Order: sequence, then C-alpha cells, then structure tokens
Amino acid sequence: MKPLLRIVGPVLLGSTLLFQPAHAETPPNMLVVGFSMTNILTLDPAAITGKETVQVLTNIYDNLVALDAVNRAQVDPQLAESWTIADDNGSITFKLSKGATFASGNPVTSADVVWSFKRLMKLNLAQASFLKTHGFSAANADASFTAPDDGTVVIKLPKKVDPQIIVQTLGIVGPGSILDMKAVMEHDKSGDMGAAWLTNNSAGSGPFTLGQWQSNERVTLEQNPKYWGEKPAMRRIMMRHLAESQSQRLMLEKGDIDIAFSMSAADLKALESSKDVKIQTNGGSGFYYLAVSMKDEKFQKPKVREALRYLIDYQGLNDSVLPYFGKLRDRPVPAGIFGALPNAGYKLDVAKAKALLAEAGYPNGFPTTLRAISDVPFMSLATAIQATLAQAGIKAEIVTGSGDQIYGAMRERKYELVVGRGGGGQLPHPDSNFRAIVYNPNNADEAKLTNFQGWRTSFYDEKINKMIDDALVEGNKDKQIKEYQDIQTYYAEMVPAIQPFSEVVDSVGFRADIKGLELNPSWSTQLRTVKKER
Amino acid sequence: MNNERLTAFTRQAGTILATLLGLLILTFCIGRLMPVDPVRAIVGEEADQATYNMVAERIGANLPLYQQFFRYVNDLAHGDFGTSIRTGQPVINDILHVMPATIELATFAIIVGAGLGIPLGILAAVRRNRPVDHIIRFLTLIGHSMPIFWTGMIGLIIFYAALDLVGGGGRLSDYYIGLVPETTGFLLIDAIIAGDWEVFRDAVNHLLLPASILGYSSMAYITRMTRSFMLDQLNQEYVTTARVKGLSKGRTIWHHAFANIRVQLVTIVALAYGSLLEGAVLIETVFSWPGFGQYITNNMLIGDMNAVMTCVLLVGIIFIALNLLSDALYKIFDPRTR
Repeated sequence: MKPLLRIVGPVLLGSTLLFQPAHAETPPNMLVVGFSMTNILTLDPAAITGKETVQVLTNIYDNLVALDAVNRAQVDPQLAESWTIADDNGSITFKLSKGATFASGNPVTSADVVWSFKRLMKLNLAQASFLKTHGFSAANADASFTAPDDGTVVIKLPKKVDPQIIVQTLGIVGPGSILDMKAVMEHDKSGDMGAAWLTNNSAGSGPFTLGQWQSNERVTLEQNPKYWGEKPAMRRIMMRHLAESQSQRLMLEKGDIDIAFSMSAADLKALESSKDVKIQTNGGSGFYYLAVSMKDEKFQKPKVREALRYLIDYQGLNDSVLPYFGKLRDRPVPAGIFGALPNAGYKLDVAKAKALLAEAGYPNGFPTTLRAISDVPFMSLATAIQATLAQAGIKAEIVTGSGDQIYGAMRERKYELVVGRGGGGQLPHPDSNFRAIVYNPNNADEAKLTNFQGWRTSFYDEKINKMIDDALVEGNKDKQIKEYQDIQTYYAEMVPAIQPFSEVVDSVGFRADIKGLELNPSWSTQLRTVKKER
Repeated sequence: MNNERLTAFTRQAGTILATLLGLLILTFCIGRLMPVDPVRAIVGEEADQATYNMVAERIGANLPLYQQFFRYVNDLAHGDFGTSIRTGQPVINDILHVMPATIELATFAIIVGAGLGIPLGILAAVRRNRPVDHIIRFLTLIGHSMPIFWTGMIGLIIFYAALDLVGGGGRLSDYYIGLVPETTGFLLIDAIIAGDWEVFRDAVNHLLLPASILGYSSMAYITRMTRSFMLDQLNQEYVTTARVKGLSKGRTIWHHAFANIRVQLVTIVALAYGSLLEGAVLIETVFSWPGFGQYITNNMLIGDMNAVMTCVLLVGIIFIALNLLSDALYKIFDPRTR
C-alpha cells in the first residue's frame, strides 16, 4: 500500500492544484443566464412553443409594439412610432420609426412587416393560432396586411374584434416578431420561406443576434452592431442549459452564472438570505386550476362543481406549495388586467361542500381520479387537493404522468379531475383568458377544438360564449369593462368546469451586481438594459 | 478452412444484422407505445387541429405505424438517418456533436474505474477478511448503492461550491467557450491541437468531478467482480502448488492467478464501458454535460423517433463492437479459444 500512496498522493494533490478554477465570476461584458432549455425545439418565431424560446427571441427580434414590463395594460412603441385605429374599428395603421435596421444592415420597411405576418399565416405553424383566433388566415392574409408606402403598414381586421387585442397580439414574441425578408428569403428552400434556416439562425432587428444554438447546451447571443436603438451594455449573452434547479443555485451562488431563470421554490427560498443574490418576482401568464370533465355525469351537476369549489384550500395552497410561482386568485382574469374583479373570496369550507354534495345526491362523496403532471408543483397541489376532497368523502385516486399523458387525456376528453396550469394570459386582455378557459364554440367531439380548454372540459354555455364575443367588439371602453365584470360574475354563478386558485407568477434569482433587470411577464425579459456594477 | 471461415463470418454478420433489426423493431414499438406525441411537442398546446394535422403530415406521424417503420428502415438502408424534430439537423450530425462529450467522460471514468477497481479487487481478495478487505468492500458497497444523481449533487456541493477545487456545470467555463475551434469535438484534443493550455486546463477541471463520480460507480462494480474472480483462483490447487514449490506470493498472484482472470475482466470492463457510453444520463443532467445520454433521453421524451432509433442503433453497434473486441482479446489472453 505504501508505495501506491507515495505515487497516488502527490499526483492527486498536484492535479487538483494544477487544474483549479481560474475564474470565480462571469466576464464583465458577458451576461450568463441559466435555465432549462429542454423545450427549445426551434428558433423560428413562427414555429416556437414554450416560454424558454420566448426568452431567447425577445432579445433578437423587434415587434411593431412592445408590452410594457411594469404596466401590463400599456402598449409601448417599438418598430412602429405610432398607430391609429380607424373610426369603424375595422383597421389599424402603423407608422414605422425611421432609421430602424436589421442586423444584416437592411432597413426595416413596411414590406418586411407585411411579409412577416403573411409568412406567419401561410406557414400556419404554432404561433399563427394567436391571429387565427381573430379571423386571420392564409387565404385572407394578402388582403389583411398591406403596405401603402415604405413607412406605413395597414392591418385590416377580417372580423369585428377589439382592435386593442390585435395591437397587443403584435406585441408578443412569435406572432408579432418582424423578420428581415431579404435575409430570410436568401435561404428559402423549396418554398419553405426560410423555415429550415430560421430553426437555428436569426434575421431580426433586436439588440442581439443569434451567435450559436447548441440544442440542450447553450444559446449564445452576440450584440447586434447595427442595432438602431440604445446600445446594450453587454457584448454577449450566454444562455446555458442547466436542467437542474440545484445546479443553477450553486452556480448562481458561486457567481458562475448571473441570472437563474428556472429555479425551484425550495432553492429560491434558500437564496433569500444570501447577500450576493437577489430574487425578483413578476406576473406570469395563466392560472393553476382544478378542472372537471363535464362528460362525467357527476360533474354535470352544478352542486357537485360548487362543492369542489369549497374543497380547495386557496390560502394554504398558495402559502405552502406555490410561493414564488403563484399568487392567490379565484377569478378567471388576472389581477391588474382591465375589468378584473377582486377575488371572490372562496375558502375551504368542508361543511358547506358536504351539504352541497348531499343536495346533489352524494352525501357520502364518491370515488374519482385526479390527474396531475408528475412534476413540481403539480404533485404537491394534487396531494393537497386529494386531502381536502377526502374530508367530504371524495376519494380521488391520483393519476400522474408526463404533460402528454395528463393534458393528452384532457384533449381526448377522457378524464375526471385535473390539476393543471393554463388559461391564456399572454395578452393583457380579459378576452385571452375567457377564450382559453371557458369559451367553446362547438361542443361536439368531432369539432376537436383542443386549443380551447372550454372544449376540453366539455363545458358549453351559449350565453357565456355570446357575452365573450359581445365584450370583445364593444367599442366603448367603460361599457367593455362592465361587460367583462359581468362575465366574471356570471362565471362565478354558473360554476363552470375550471376553478382557478392561483395566478401564475415568475421568479428569478440574480447576482446582486446585476442592475437594470426588469422582469417582463411570460419570460419576455429584455436583457439589453442589464449591466454589471462591480 | 477458408470455407469454414467464410461460413463463420456470414453467420456472425447475419446474427449482427438480425440483432440490430430486432433492436430497431423493439425500440420502434416501445417508442410508439409510449404516451408521447411528437406532433404536439412541435405545435404546442395552443395550436388548433388544422396546424396539428399539417405538421403530422409533414413528419409522417399520420401514416400507419408499419409504414412509418418501413419508411425509416428504407431511408436507413440508403444511409439517411433522418432529421431530428428537436434540432432540425440531420440526426447523424447531432450524434457526432454529442458523442465526443460522452466518450471523453466515459473514457476518463473507465480509466478511474478499471485503474483503481482491478488493483483494489485483487488486494481485497489477497487480504480476504482482513481490515483492508473490509474497508474496500465497504467503499464499493457505498459506490454501488448510492444513487449516482445524489452522489453527483453532493460532489458538486463539496468539491465545487464549498472547496472550489473543480469547475461547475458544463464542459468549460464561460470565459473559454468558443475559444478553440471544434476540430474533433473532443475538447481536450481540440485544446491540444489549438495549443491552448488554458482551455485544456479548464476542460480537465470540468471533467474531473463527473468522471470521478462515474468512475467511482464503475470501480465499485469492477472491484467486487475482480475480488470474486480472484478468490476463485486463489482457492485453486495450482496456487497452493506454486507456493509449495517456492514461487513468491507476488509472482503467483500476478503471473498465474491474475493471468487466469484477465479474460473475465476484459468482458466486465468492456460492458462497464458500454454502459457508461449510453447510460450516463443522470450525471450528464446534474453536470449539464451535453452528451449522448441526455440527447437520447430528451428525444425519447418528445417522441423524436428518428433520433431515438439512430441512438439505439448506435448503442447496439457499440455493444456488438465491444463484444467483438472482447472476443478478440480472449484469443490473445486465452490460447484455448484460438
């Protein structure tokens, strides 16, 4: 043993000293951001899904307008310096800012803007849904998007809606991203409008350009030397795939990353006391909810649905399971959005729930299944709700699985109860929430309106459909606000299939020397304002 | 004799092809039975049915299963491994990108595992039931029974966060990413080619911990197997005879007993290396190591079957190659098999 130790000891010690890390912090002009990139499948703005991709592209592409980070209802100019809505609410005219250029050096013209929207509709990929909902299609794209001159874009609304929701839609990454037509079409392959090339290349006018995307490894953004706005402080942004929350936390504490975007509540809490790390929370999009399937005859009874409403521990769930990720909300419109009513104030009330169940013919409760994604925080939510349901005799067996299994069952309309997350909210407009949560234009199985959660829950109410449609086209703002308040009241009275108990918020951890970070809702944080003060 | 060799070769080639085809059929069936929807992964939750159908048609997910399978095998026969849904790149390019990272990790790990495991196994057998044997068995028991995910995390907390001895996640620190051109994909080799010793030093610094933890896990297995094989040999009469005839203990162990377990050890080490190449997914996740294990797992989770099938095919080929290598080494170490 001794000769072995004599050799191995010095070798180990020497190699440890030799290979010790040289740098303890990130470079001063490079921002290093960590989050899980598992869901990034493409960087083509027309095809993206998931908030992680939004976080990347929001720094590469400009839109005509931008949703304000602080005041969610406010829309700020971006590529468009101004816009006007026609008196009949039938069209919107945008005037482009002068001097804006793409990273290629090409000027941003109205032709690029119109082409970007037409491309979105013609490719008909994931992000087209936002405009398709409001009547835009590949067939009417040529008539809907026109450019009378180089600096003007006119959008003709194919059906009567609130023009404000269209302006807001153009402010979100994906449907509103403006692409460099010439640069993209140089890489057109068999008429794909550059879709294959844009998977891992960029053609935007934002503060950064795509340097490199290595799937599940990193995305590197380089400062756009031709950026037409205020020059960003950072020369490069390195986004690193860090799937594990604990790895993010350790690297953030050590200073090897500057911002951690996808840490768990436990790790965020552990960092609360750190003097080197700060935590920022801002609005997200959507709700945590308990949904029932109206295919199940038990849940067709309003009394049963109402009983479930009183078997949710609203405060308890938000305090114990959802800190950093949810804020108590029992209405289907997020707080702060125009027309949002204050919380209804539902509380866990087992006695009331039992009485309602007895009235519905289930004095001893019933067995059922409760589906939840086998991930944080859904399993904890399901377990807590299972316990409160049991207090009224409802024996819910938890069924867990991947997102495909749980939401797949919803899309197939084959489930009883689901603890889920969703319900619109990417737009600061109540219509986006109502349309996602309760609107259902056709309840037939064959309709397969899987993008409407109202359809998924088999909930159909002609009156609320009409109320939602009417509110969207109401031209008088005060009246519109009143109509949205009425919908919320009606929603509460009729006890629909989805009961929200928390609205989604996002939390990030960042090094204390990072300044200018303004967390935007729904992972659309602009990093051009971020700098390091060391 | 030539005919015999030709027949043996044909038989072996036939067996290999049949194995690979069986592997493909099995993987395809499992992949399709799994409740994952590749189309939904592409179009997202908000997309409507028209978009869903269009993408399903584009990637062939609307075809009957047998047609999807034959289309894949037909493309394969023409050297086309397909395009990955996740990256939009030819699968073979993706694999060529991730494989070097895993080979680097697995090779260092097996050097640690076999380099320590074999001597420790022999030492434990020779000192059977003495304190050294107990200590070695205890250490290997820990290495064998602790979840590698947990070991990795604890390793990071101690050696990276607390002691600052090694690098954190990834293959390089942010300062060095992109500094050396990707010539071979093996960072250490690329750094040597570029003559950039700072990058080399940093790459080793990042490799040390995950490779050591993986190596420790392999070592536990190799040590226990070596000990067991060696004990068998030490109980043989020829060992007693050799000692009675005055042969030294060292010579008896290394020249006679160890010579007789080399063939078994080759198999054990080859299989352990094969497992490291395809099964390091947990360590790759903890250390954000962009390797083959993560690639195959993430693609399996979204039902990217082109990528999964090619990966499985590659794993099959790796194991077959390692087995063939073992067979070749048998012939060197054991004249009876020639």
